[in-house]
Amino acid sequence: MTKKLKKQLLAGGALVLGIGILALLAWLFYLDRIITQQFEGRRWTLPAQVYAEPLELYVGQALGADALEHELQRLGYTRIDTAPKSPGTYRRRGERIDLVTRRFAFWDEVQESQALSVTTSRNAITRLQDAQGVDVPIFRLDPLLIGSIFPIHGEDRIIVTPDEVPDLLPAALKVVEDRKFDTHHGINVSAILRAAWVNLRAGQIEQGGSTLTQQLVKSYFLDNRRTLGRKIEEAFMAMLLELHFEKQDIMNAYINEIYLGQDGQRAIHGFGLASQFYFGKPLAELQLHEIATLVAIVRGPSYYDPRRRPERVQARRDLILKLMHEYGLIDAGQMKVALARPLGVVDIGGHGGGYYPAFLDLVRRTLRRDYREEDLTEAGLKIFSTLNPLVQSRAETVLKQELERLDKSRKRKDAKLEGVVVVTTPQNGEVIAMVGGRETNFAGFNRALDAKRSIGSLVKPVIYLAAIESGRFHAASIVDDAAIELKLPNGQVWKPQNISKELYGPVPLVRALAQSLNLATVNLGLQVGLPEVTREFRALGLDREPPQLPSVLLGALDVSPLEVAQIYNAFANGGFNTQLRAVRAVVDAEGKPLKSFALEVTPVADPNAVYQVNRMMVEVMERGTGAGARAYLPPGLVVAGKSGTSSDYRDSWFAGFSGGHLAVVWIGYDDNAPTGLTGSSGSLAVWARLMASIGTTPWSVPLPEGLKETWIEYPTGLGAKPGCVDEPVAVAIPASVELPMAPGCEPGVINSFKEWWQRFTGSDQ
Amino acid sequence: MNKARFSILVIAATLAACTVPQPYEPPRPTPEPAPTPGGTPVETQPVPPPPPIEEPTPLPPPVVREPALGAASRALVSQAQQQAAAQNFAMAAATIERALRIEPDNPLLWIELGKVRQAEGNYQQAENMGRKAASMAVNAPKTQAAAWELVAESLRAQGKNVQAQEAQTRADQMRR
Repeated sequence: MTKKLKKQLLAGGALVLGIGILALLAWLFYLDRIITQQFEGRRWTLPAQVYAEPLELYVGQALGADALEHELQRLGYTRIDTAPKSPGTYRRRGERIDLVTRRFAFWDEVQESQALSVTTSRNAITRLQDAQGVDVPIFRLDPLLIGSIFPIHGEDRIIVTPDEVPDLLPAALKVVEDRKFDTHHGINVSAILRAAWVNLRAGQIEQGGSTLTQQLVKSYFLDNRRTLGRKIEEAFMAMLLELHFEKQDIMNAYINEIYLGQDGQRAIHGFGLASQFYFGKPLAELQLHEIATLVAIVRGPSYYDPRRRPERVQARRDLILKLMHEYGLIDAGQMKVALARPLGVVDIGGHGGGYYPAFLDLVRRTLRRDYREEDLTEAGLKIFSTLNPLVQSRAETVLKQELERLDKSRKRKDAKLEGVVVVTTPQNGEVIAMVGGRETNFAGFNRALDAKRSIGSLVKPVIYLAAIESGRFHAASIVDDAAIELKLPNGQVWKPQNISKELYGPVPLVRALAQSLNLATVNLGLQVGLPEVTREFRALGLDREPPQLPSVLLGALDVSPLEVAQIYNAFANGGFNTQLRAVRAVVDAEGKPLKSFALEVTPVADPNAVYQVNRMMVEVMERGTGAGARAYLPPGLVVAGKSGTSSDYRDSWFAGFSGGHLAVVWIGYDDNAPTGLTGSSGSLAVWARLMASIGTTPWSVPLPEGLKETWIEYPTGLGAKPGCVDEPVAVAIPASVELPMAPGCEPGVINSFKEWWQRFTGSDQ
Repeated sequence: MNKARFSILVIAATLAACTVPQPYEPPRPTPEPAPTPGGTPVETQPVPPPPPIEEPTPLPPPVVREPALGAASRALVSQAQQQAAAQNFAMAAATIERALRIEPDNPLLWIELGKVRQAEGNYQQAENMGRKAASMAVNAPKTQAAAWELVAESLRAQGKNVQAQEAQTRADQMRR
């Protein structure tokens, strides 16, 4: 080898080395930029959090001690035996519950934490006082977090600040995952070497020597590949991170970043959300054994899944508790108590969110009008919704049970019946529950919003309202249930029939509606006029005018369950329209109110005409197609409603309301095949069982001025009195109308005097 | 003597013919109605268990019943009035909405909500709230009058003077 060649080689080597060093420096500079830029802003994408409606406590509220305790447990309040001192705890002594509420920033005011004492008696609150024994007129509990709007396959998290983190959590993380955390510079060389030795001997990767910082870097910046290159990149980034930031910041980032579980498409990130997801309460309120459980999960959220592998997780939790004791974080007594506790993980469903896909879909669609998708999935908005978790869970349960029962009697075995429930509070138009299908945890096709199906006889009350509003008809007017043949513009002849194939002749409106007579209704609708009928749909809140076709009179009209709820809400609301709402207000990440959806009402129909139709719908329930509901409803609960069946029994509908609630139920097959069910034999039972289970109030609207209440003979519509005809029924008609009396019921005959005497003396017979 | 007895009978017969039950409760006529003769219900269903047989309830006579606010609503309304006085109308309305969730049928609350809308210049909603309250305040002339007063004022503010006068007349009639 010549000297010259040697020199050239050396120079070449130096050049390569120089370039190498330059490249390394450039790479490090690049990593440094990534770290400082991304980490400094520390902007996690924060899915909007959605809250249920808060529970209001006040004297007279129909809430017994058991129900209140149930609500507190749903909110993750911890029951203790001593006087409660810290937020989120309560004590129960018989009919009395003492609690300390959590601070919560509502959109309209901040509710500070407060000690309350609630006394109940026979299922109602009888006294509500603060710690000083002063009466509190009304108090709002913190609302249940029901979910978040996260991107598809996206990360969901609840950000916590350091003061919301129990001290034991970072301490335990250090003991278990990274004992040198406070002193190392991002990597722990001895731990890496130890891990390498273990892995070398095992011939595979069994142990990682990662510090918390490395774990954070890996989760925050890198993908999941476990190559040597990745490890080196991770180590350098960890060291750079340590160079730039304080240990406290890194720990806080770790607590908010790390992956802790999977819920379908939703990835549970950070201890804040994990605490809600596994224990149904805020991180700050976790007890020792719960903290240890979360630390146990860190090592591998699918391997250590406390819901699927409770024994495995409990074993690791116990190991962690012992480590915590060994390293002086807890004393022996604390360890013993915690070791004796069960895991205490809450049932999936009703906690942490993602379980009300149909309702959350409605929330998302409501907000999409005002916000971009990114704002909803990333900007940390807080959304105050109208969901009532209790009614929602009742609706889910009842629908599921009835569908299973009905499926058993169907011939079809290749497909299952599907169903929808929508519940509103009619006076303010709030949607308080929505079930979009039998698999309530599956966020698929939202039938409540998107399944536009033929509504059959649900159209009838709209036609009867149009008829009465025209001034030419009232509840006792006679309409002919007679055969009809109509030549349609396309040359076809339309010959509708009653489902029974019978003709009923002249009948009063109240009977035609109660028994859902098709021919009487078509005759009525044609007399009123199709334009008047279709206009009524628009007035009541349908967003489009139905085609002016005679078949619309029998419900050949495709409408979604939510749209049905909108239309019937106007009936339940006495002729006033209120846009149905699922959201009350939205605040930004700092708590500043962004938007509120205020209650607005618009008069859309004559209240007296609506009252007459509503009274007729009460008769539907008393003696018509809704009478089957009585078997489920408590006596005295007056309700109004209407069944609907589409042609060939493809759709089974029931819509109706009490004083406080409106519910719409649909049952059918997704492929639109016949079900063999009418509204009465399918949806009615769901509707009635739901109404019976949510503590609703009777429909009891006072008779408006200008109307009078009068008895008629149900089959004929002639004026009558109880006792002088076989089937008397009370209807509301305009005060000026004088009805021809049924034979034997003329005024002055003994019947009326006897009846007056009975009323006068209060005697029954 | 005879004449007096006769007039009692006449009054009795007249009363019997026009006794009006309010508010609505389902009348329970005796005897229990038989199944509709000749009228098969057109929608078939599994035979429901027979409804519980209930004694007929004597129908209450119409009485004047002015609504009153419950303690919780009272507290919320006074909070809302403070918020409205501070020009914080959105909050005031939200507070009354809380009360309305407790007592949705109380026309006084709808009038309060209408007054908040009126104060912030939303006269259309103020008018609608007044109409809603009026439709609910049956047998409550004082509340009716207050509701129509709100309607009249809101219509006047919208420049609908003829309609405003009609509403005002209704309010005045109720006060008499």
